[in-house]
Amino acid sequence: MSIIYVLIPLAIILVAVALGIFFWAVKSDQFQDLERQGYSILFDDDLPEEERHQQAKTQDKANNDNE
Amino acid sequence: MNVTAIECYHCGLPAEADSPYHATILGKNRVMCCPGCQAVAEAIVDNGLEDYYQFRTEPAARGDTEFQATLGKLAMYDDPALQEDFVIDEGINKQIQLTVEGITCAACGWLIEKQLARVNGINQVSVNVSERRAAVTWSDEMIHLSGILKALKKIGYAALPFQPDQHEASYQNEQKQFLKKLGLAGLMTMQVMMLMTGLYFDLFGAIEAETRQYFYWVALVLTTPVVFYSGSTFYLGAIKAISARTVNMDVPVTIAVFGTYIAGIKSTLLETGDVYFESICMFIFLLLLSRYLEHRSRHRATQISANMMQYIPVTAHRLSDDGKVEPCLAKHLAVGDKVLVKAGETIPVDGRIIEGASAIDESMLTGEFEPVLKETGAAVFGGTVNQQNTLTIEVHQQLKYALVNQIIRLQSTAMANKPKAAQMADSFSRYFVVAVLAISALTFAYWTVQGNNEAFWIAIAVLVATCPCALGLATPSALTCAMARLNKQGILLKRADALEQITGIDTIALDKTGTLTEGKFGIADRWFADPTQAEYLFNVTASLEARSEHPISKAFSASESLAVSEFEVTAGGGIRGSVDGKQYLLGSATFTQADPSAVPVSANVYLVCNGECLAAYEVTDSLKSDTAETLAGLDSFQLVLLSGDTQQNVDKLAAKLPLAVATGELTPQQKYQAVQKLQAQGHKVMMLGDGINDAPVLASADVSVAVGNATDIARNAADVVLLSESLSTVPALVDIAAKTRRKIRQNIFWALGYNLLILPFAVSGLLLPWMAVIGMSLSSIIVVSNSTRLLK
Repeated sequence: MSIIYVLIPLAIILVAVALGIFFWAVKSDQFQDLERQGYSILFDDDLPEEERHQQAKTQDKANNDNE
Repeated sequence: MNVTAIECYHCGLPAEADSPYHATILGKNRVMCCPGCQAVAEAIVDNGLEDYYQFRTEPAARGDTEFQATLGKLAMYDDPALQEDFVIDEGINKQIQLTVEGITCAACGWLIEKQLARVNGINQVSVNVSERRAAVTWSDEMIHLSGILKALKKIGYAALPFQPDQHEASYQNEQKQFLKKLGLAGLMTMQVMMLMTGLYFDLFGAIEAETRQYFYWVALVLTTPVVFYSGSTFYLGAIKAISARTVNMDVPVTIAVFGTYIAGIKSTLLETGDVYFESICMFIFLLLLSRYLEHRSRHRATQISANMMQYIPVTAHRLSDDGKVEPCLAKHLAVGDKVLVKAGETIPVDGRIIEGASAIDESMLTGEFEPVLKETGAAVFGGTVNQQNTLTIEVHQQLKYALVNQIIRLQSTAMANKPKAAQMADSFSRYFVVAVLAISALTFAYWTVQGNNEAFWIAIAVLVATCPCALGLATPSALTCAMARLNKQGILLKRADALEQITGIDTIALDKTGTLTEGKFGIADRWFADPTQAEYLFNVTASLEARSEHPISKAFSASESLAVSEFEVTAGGGIRGSVDGKQYLLGSATFTQADPSAVPVSANVYLVCNGECLAAYEVTDSLKSDTAETLAGLDSFQLVLLSGDTQQNVDKLAAKLPLAVATGELTPQQKYQAVQKLQAQGHKVMMLGDGINDAPVLASADVSVAVGNATDIARNAADVVLLSESLSTVPALVDIAAKTRRKIRQNIFWALGYNLLILPFAVSGLLLPWMAVIGMSLSSIIVVSNSTRLLK
């Protein structure tokens, strides 16, 4: 059971790190706008032009099918 | 899909199938409803930001058709004297917060950031979608503020500087503090719980004393930051209350937390006695959570109202001595300056007309939209609108002494004299807290005298069990839910406790123009000499009126417009003009020489041809379509009309509505006094208004409601802002207020009932502190879930 003398302090250190990150996140306004950032990933700025149009067409088709 | 009505690809509003406006988006030709949308869509595509259309979840706001005109006006934002109010100067760079109209979904945030990021000179952009704001940092050498506003306008967003609420900055700060405290308490509660659960399950005593002691030490280390950091909100509150010689709920909370904590340290050090660290953590976490929820709902309301306070500076055309006209800001005008005011422009400051005569719309001051004729020598007031001719005005008062600003000052005095809300829950909980403290002390004394060495823990259990946590949640949780519900219906609460006050209201005071009525002319009644010709005669009238600038003319719209020739306007009289070869006179009875007694309706506009009256119209400010119905639904209140309009007009309107009293010809000051008189008679007054002239009276009423089209100043004074122009949501507001009060009562009843029920167990020592914590949490959860039923 003596392993808990190592594991528990380790857990405390991890919690301290997590808290540090959380405080930093709050301080740097990460919780100001919870709607917006989730969408950033959707905008594939790095896709080449053609591929993007391809995507748009497939999406359009899906839209038309819905109507 | 309907062929004739399709949706505009940009804004989603209906567009004609053969609409001439198109744009190629995402490789396809899309139909647009108007040139505004087309321009915006083309700008987005040209900038390579088509992705916006692919990922947006809501259609955009409609493009501005008068795009070029709007762009021209933006230049005035570059004036350094103006900017000092809202721009933060950081040396080379400048920073500003803008409210952005037209943000509909997260894709808008992306679009704005992308668009601005490629503008030269803009260093940083961050858009907050939920707040509808953008923070921009730019270098003033490379681009001006107007350039930034233009770049946004091009992609369809109207951005303007605004005046943040003075409390907002501190709210932001508190919000972050709360998040940190909550996060810490939450994480630590989990850790401590984990350790303590291990000990709870030690039914057979298999854990060695040494390990147990070790666990206590770890729990103590983890609990300490929760007690000193997360819990500090409560101690500060308790200290504040005690220094004000009163008690609040924070006092027993503080005693319970520190009592348990210090006893825990003692037991850990002496290796004997009980330890309840997990109870402390959970206790603080749950209490903080309720405070945070309350704080957030209040924050949301102030934020929305701050966004409405857009900063639109008043500009003026100064006439210099050599006859040149130069634009300047109204706040720079000095006494004696001459100012040129063209038709349609706002008069910048208080002054006297030295040249010209015109009809002036003083509705923003008096609430009455009917223009007032003013000639040379007459006094005019800043903020009013010149309707017809160009005027030259001599400034006789600086902007800060203008009538509008005097009304605003009256408003702030009224605000200070506002009757304070007797907060039911608060005053109630004070007695409760005193009782709790007394009972705990008595319990402790009794058990100590009895020689029970558990006396301390029993007293703590009493404190925790009767902790007014559920009682504390009873009011805020119900208010938060009610506010969310009201927001959905387009009612914005700026002060949560206004809901509590609404339930005590017995009198509703109403403004007339703009609140009960549309605030513009409409045709109330019409009569035609030859009913078969009705449509033609109406078109003749409307075509003639279409050429006139008089506000009455806006009431008429022709189904088919006819060519008008020999058109001539007589100010204060009417119009003369020829249609289809016949000469018509249109206007008042004296101008047209029509005989009012020959017409069966009480008309004020006559159409006369060759001395024969062909048609007559009664044009007045018409009631909003649902006013009568809404007022009928509010019949349990005494309805009082306070108007700045003439007594005659007020009486005419009052005859149609269930009003107890209708008074006209009141100045803002008199309106304010009228409400104060009602309050002195013991009435609780709710005031509904919209104009600047209503601002002082709104500020003095027990509860004030600004109607949708209200001026900023009226909104600023109001406790409740209706987002729609119609009054139909007022009964809902009253209804939800009553429901909320009922919920609060139920919650308090439950919380008290539980506390009273558990008290004998706690006092008699049957209840251990950890049981008390669980009981308290359960009680809180029941209260909160009861409140959430308000959302439905």
